[in-house]
Amino acid sequence: MAQTYSRRCWLTFPTRSQVEQPIIWQMSRKYPDVKFDIRQASVQNEIGIMAVLFEADDQQELNDALDYLRSQGVTVEPIEKSVVEG
Amino acid sequence: MSYVLGLKCKECGHRVPVAPVHVCEQCFGPYEVEYDYAAMKGKVTRASIEAGPKSLWRYRDLLPCEGEPVTGLHSGLTPLRKAKRLAAELGCSQLYIKDDSCNYPTYSYKERVVSVAITKAVEFGFDTVGCASTGNLANSTAAHAAAAGIRCFVMIPHDLEQGKVLGSLIFGPTMVRIRGTYDDVNRLCTEIADKYGWAIVNVNLRPYYTEGAKTYGFEIAEQLGWKLPQHTIVPTAGGTILPKIYKGYQELIKLGLVDDTPAKIYSAQAAGCNPVVTAIQKGSDIIEPQKPNTIAKSIAIGNPADGYYAAQVVKDSGGWGESATDQEIVDAIRLLGRTEGIWTEPAGGTTLAVAIKLIQSGRIPKDESIVVSITGNGLKTQEAVQNELPYPQVIDAKLSDFDKLLASSKSREPALASV
Repeated sequence: MAQTYSRRCWLTFPTRSQVEQPIIWQMSRKYPDVKFDIRQASVQNEIGIMAVLFEADDQQELNDALDYLRSQGVTVEPIEKSVVEG
Repeated sequence: MSYVLGLKCKECGHRVPVAPVHVCEQCFGPYEVEYDYAAMKGKVTRASIEAGPKSLWRYRDLLPCEGEPVTGLHSGLTPLRKAKRLAAELGCSQLYIKDDSCNYPTYSYKERVVSVAITKAVEFGFDTVGCASTGNLANSTAAHAAAAGIRCFVMIPHDLEQGKVLGSLIFGPTMVRIRGTYDDVNRLCTEIADKYGWAIVNVNLRPYYTEGAKTYGFEIAEQLGWKLPQHTIVPTAGGTILPKIYKGYQELIKLGLVDDTPAKIYSAQAAGCNPVVTAIQKGSDIIEPQKPNTIAKSIAIGNPADGYYAAQVVKDSGGWGESATDQEIVDAIRLLGRTEGIWTEPAGGTTLAVAIKLIQSGRIPKDESIVVSITGNGLKTQEAVQNELPYPQVIDAKLSDFDKLLASSKSREPALASV
């Protein structure tokens, strides 16, 4: 059985420009084999944040999809956020 | 006996039994420990707490551990000092320092969270603990793991200064320097926790770890004579301690151990990394990630896990958030040193600098009770002040030379003292 790779991420859409674009939809068109499941979302005028589960059978495609989001100005972070403490 | 009911998601309320999990499977919100407060009534009292050990474990009924603690037996119960000389300088009448710069054994508030996390790790049957840290958390995890006799891994960025590595290495953990950015270290640590099933104290043990921070709030209230301070100023990094001080206050109210009086909580951050303060001041519910750039490295977390909850508590309690520049932080470290004889790290300097701003702006009235949270020791961060202090002069071993020096230094003393 093929292995499924998954990532639980916070996506931050840091400006109005990202908030008003269908970036997740664009990602899914470009990487149709990467599934996404939105678990939480909060969108305001100037900023948006989403908790999303991503799954794919191909790890490289999953990484490429997340890189695509980053290339569109979206901040992608693990659900644990920053874990390196001072 | 334990009063723990289980874990409950702070976002959606989903409940699960006690387990080493931290993220709600439904909504990815954080789990928090839930207690049976009704069962505590009449059993957890001021007298029962005062009869407990002289450590953070005197509050064990309000902590998520089932059996005997395995570490931290001498941690906590740090001084709450009435800061008379600092108060005179700032024109305040009831100013207190809660001083975790002397917390045992590695001189920071992290002893509280790590003591609970490692005790819980042993209860769960883990044979390995770890953390991702560049400083206080690494020191504390390594020391408590050594004391508990449990294997320890500390993950750090590859280019961390040697001084910070030694402070943990002495306790014998395996330290792993990870090549890459902080984001790379973050990602790898969460993957390690998942793959190897280790207890990473601030990742998969986070619901238990954070509960240890409540003891800071419990101690403040007990040491004030079972009263809540009107104003508590707290440094904010990952957002752990601030909401837990508030939770500690609320639990004492719930159990009837203190009166339900207004207790405002304030967030202090460095201007070079202030995502929580920015959200508070903008009135936003969203914590926008930042790239840290400040000398206050122990509180420089650009995307804090519990930042949202810290901002909410500040709002709910009627407090506020304020930032301090690096120079203001250094000035406050020096002020605390020369007025109270406490050497704090830049996180403590940030807290005091913010307290001064809040007092001087009138947001905190000078005649009300104020607690400044000092959470770490300055001996670990000497580089923060080493170029700020006048280097001692050399004289010959002659009394006449000393007389001359004394005469000239007297004229300089006010200037030296005017930080």
